[in-house]
Amino acid sequence: MPLPADRLQGTLDLLVLKTLTWGPAHGYAIARWIEQITGEVLTVGEGSLYPALHRLEEREWVESEWQLSATRRRTKVYRLTTAGRRQLRAETNAWEQFVAAVGKVIATQERPA
Amino acid sequence: MKAFEAPRRDPRRDVDDEIRFHVESRVAELVARGMPEPEARRRAEQEFGDAARVRAETVRIDERMAKRRRRTEWIGDVVRDARIGLRSLSRTPGYTLTAVLCAALGIGITAAVVSAAWNILVRPLPYRDADRLVAIYGENVTRGERGSNISYPDYVAWKQETKAFSGIGLWDWYDATLASGGEPERLKGSQVTANLFPLLGVQPRLGRGFTADEEVPGRDDVVLLSDRLWRRRFGADPSIVGRTVIVDGVAHTVVGVMAPGFNFPQRGDLWVPLAVDPARETRDNRYHAGAIGRLKDGVPFERGVADLHAIDARLAREFPRENEGWRADVVPMRQDLVGDLRQPLLVFLGAVALVLLMVCANVANLTLARAAARGREMAVRTALGASRARLARQLAVESLLVAALGGVLGVGIAWIGVRLLRYGFPDQVPPFFVTLKLDGTALAIVAIVTLVTGVLFGIVPALRVPGWDAQGELREGGRGASGGLHRSRLRRALVVGEITLSVVLMVGATLLARSYRNLAGTDLGFTEEGALTVRILLAPADYPHPAQAAAFESRLLDRLRSLPGVTAVGGAQGLPFTGWLVQSWASVEGAPPPVKKEDELVVHYQYVTPDFFKAMGVRLVRGRWLTDADRDTLNPAVLVNERLVATAFGGKDPIGQRISLGGDPTWGTVVGVIGDYRQFAASQPMVPAVFYPITKAPPFFARWMSIVIRTSGDPAQLAPALRAAVKELDPRIAVEQVQTLDEVVSRSIWRQRLQEHVLGVFAVLSLVLACIGLYGVVSYAVAQRTRELGVRMALGATRRRVAWMVIEQSGRLVLAGVAAGLVLALAGTRVLEGLLYGVRATDPITFALVPISLGLVALVAAALPARRATRVDPIVAMRAE
Repeated sequence: MPLPADRLQGTLDLLVLKTLTWGPAHGYAIARWIEQITGEVLTVGEGSLYPALHRLEEREWVESEWQLSATRRRTKVYRLTTAGRRQLRAETNAWEQFVAAVGKVIATQERPA
Repeated sequence: MKAFEAPRRDPRRDVDDEIRFHVESRVAELVARGMPEPEARRRAEQEFGDAARVRAETVRIDERMAKRRRRTEWIGDVVRDARIGLRSLSRTPGYTLTAVLCAALGIGITAAVVSAAWNILVRPLPYRDADRLVAIYGENVTRGERGSNISYPDYVAWKQETKAFSGIGLWDWYDATLASGGEPERLKGSQVTANLFPLLGVQPRLGRGFTADEEVPGRDDVVLLSDRLWRRRFGADPSIVGRTVIVDGVAHTVVGVMAPGFNFPQRGDLWVPLAVDPARETRDNRYHAGAIGRLKDGVPFERGVADLHAIDARLAREFPRENEGWRADVVPMRQDLVGDLRQPLLVFLGAVALVLLMVCANVANLTLARAAARGREMAVRTALGASRARLARQLAVESLLVAALGGVLGVGIAWIGVRLLRYGFPDQVPPFFVTLKLDGTALAIVAIVTLVTGVLFGIVPALRVPGWDAQGELREGGRGASGGLHRSRLRRALVVGEITLSVVLMVGATLLARSYRNLAGTDLGFTEEGALTVRILLAPADYPHPAQAAAFESRLLDRLRSLPGVTAVGGAQGLPFTGWLVQSWASVEGAPPPVKKEDELVVHYQYVTPDFFKAMGVRLVRGRWLTDADRDTLNPAVLVNERLVATAFGGKDPIGQRISLGGDPTWGTVVGVIGDYRQFAASQPMVPAVFYPITKAPPFFARWMSIVIRTSGDPAQLAPALRAAVKELDPRIAVEQVQTLDEVVSRSIWRQRLQEHVLGVFAVLSLVLACIGLYGVVSYAVAQRTRELGVRMALGATRRRVAWMVIEQSGRLVLAGVAAGLVLALAGTRVLEGLLYGVRATDPITFALVPISLGLVALVAAALPARRATRVDPIVAMRAE
């Protein structure tokens, strides 16, 4: 059973920003990439992906542009901004600290004094 | 600058497209893996989930984003326009400087006057729900007198029987010498009933107010201090409550300190209970200063008045002898406090509005001239595709920038203006309820006036933009005359308007100036120069017997007489223009008693020392002066004035006739007639008057005296010697109101002086503005016609003829403005009627003088460009083409 990518608040933002460091992409591509990389451990619910993308755009961490796809459809392509890169760095740090902290608790055998 | 603005899209359509693309991509992928299309579609849609919810949420975010983006874009545009505007303004420093200074002047003085008017006429009085408070005085309907004192029994009747007022309290003027906490000092305040301060809604900050049982003589030795006095003389010592201070020589217990800023009825520093013995208060003894009432909630002012008048009607039926013709004179408290200041303030407001209008016309005029000069620039920009709205906005932003710069400078001018207004009040002390300073309200007024000004003078040039004929401008090379014709007609109209308003202001100012000169030049009947005056008050505790007081006063007069340079010294109760006008009915021996009450002889009376009129410089018309020998109090010698001779003796010789006051059985024999002098106000002729020897003065007049010292030297130099003389005789006495007779007079006409000065400043300003406007229009016209004038001169027109052409053109503008101005002034100066003295609102001299002087000044303003026109060199003018 795959886990939803936004199981923890803010995780989806982090994943989307990271995904976009490989280059501009539309929403569908972003969702597929995340699923592929995680070996389909994480799924991105479309219900939360689009609001998340638009929110990131509102905060000016990503910007968007309409393009014609290979199938000649109008597609909205997102691109990371400088502010977005900065945000990604900050969120990555925070995530690593969080994981390390949770890991420590889980690894601890003895009851603290 | 952004070259193209992306077409605005509907965010809902975008979101739909995005979602559809997602679903289609998924379907394509599934089909590619071999799933049949209908099943693939079902699966894709199922995976996507609640598309409607996603769509709604996403659209909401997009709309929020779009709104914010539009706002930042707009701000960015405005900032950009402002930057361009500033750069463009700095390229025409002459225009910018003149326009900004004009705007600053207009905005500054408007803000100063409006903030003063707001402060005086609108700002709530420092009492609780002050619009419910009324001042109550007496009105005698038969004699047509208002604002009279009231009697205690009438006050009690009002207070007890009223249904419209929640409370009525009585007060009296009071001033006293405070001898504790430093040198003896004369202080002002009032005597008040215990209910008065609670009725005003003010609490002491320390201690308590008065109680009803302190309204009894003998128990009234308590005092309330002002916060000001408490800080100044007692170092804000909180243990003051309960302490004993010496007031007028009597120990009083301080029961409380009033809140900071509290004053009643005017600026005052100490208050004592109004203690009366009701048994000794008669209905016809109207000597209490007034009462204050608070209307019950929801009761309109008129009902309050009617309520008291109904009580008065009953009293008049019950006590016809004492009360017939009398009723309460009720005025809203603010009106009572603002009094005579209201009308001049409204006139100032009107005048300043005219000045502001002129300023707007002037700046609009300058802006139009500048726009005309920039016609080519604008035409090029239009041709290059700048939208008219864009250009109009640019012009509007420039106008607002000028207004804003003017506003900033205007704050400084308003600050100065408010400072100067302070000098308008006697001793530079405005009434207590007025704070003359540039506060938040004043700054808000500046901001509003700035905006209004900017819009007023910016709107005309900005609206003219769509009318720009780009092709015409370009074809004429921006130098032609015809393209600017319409615009210059508008500018001429603005100048005519300015001259019109200037005429109105100048007529108003001239009328007020003539009134003031008339008033200041009125023969007052006494000699203002060379006399020093002072008021001496003796505390009953220090001088228990009237005879002691009289002895002191006589010693003091002797001492003053011996000062070097002094030629005459005299004393009486009240000097002219100090509010003193005690009156009584009187009868002439042998004359039939009056049939009707209004035929009654009413006279002003005073008790004077023999040399009083010599010291005042009043002339003796007939008979003799009073002398030290006139000591007989049972058959006293009296002086009367010419007015009394005319009123009561039909102009016949009154010497030897006898007269009696208020039914007094002792008859005074007239020994002399003195010239009328003005007593109550410089603008009011003297009423009939009788003067008794000081020895006849009743005991309650014994403890104060107003003294006049005439000297051959500078009267002001005499003040230190006067103070020293008083102090030497009795150091407990506080000397007050030491001022020359000159000062007394000039203080009495301060309001008229203020009116004259303020309107004078406005009129001069308006003249300058009108001249700047005229000069601008005429010199522009000359510049426009350079070629034409050159051709004319080449064809043989003389310099004189060319100059005359220009002058004639300006003369027509001036004539039109003056004619319109005179008509407007004739209709408008009516508002001044109550403020004028010795001159009518349609004064022909004023109406002749103003156009002549304005015409002359305006012609000088036009002559300068006319001179320039004669210097046009035909060759140069033609070659410039």
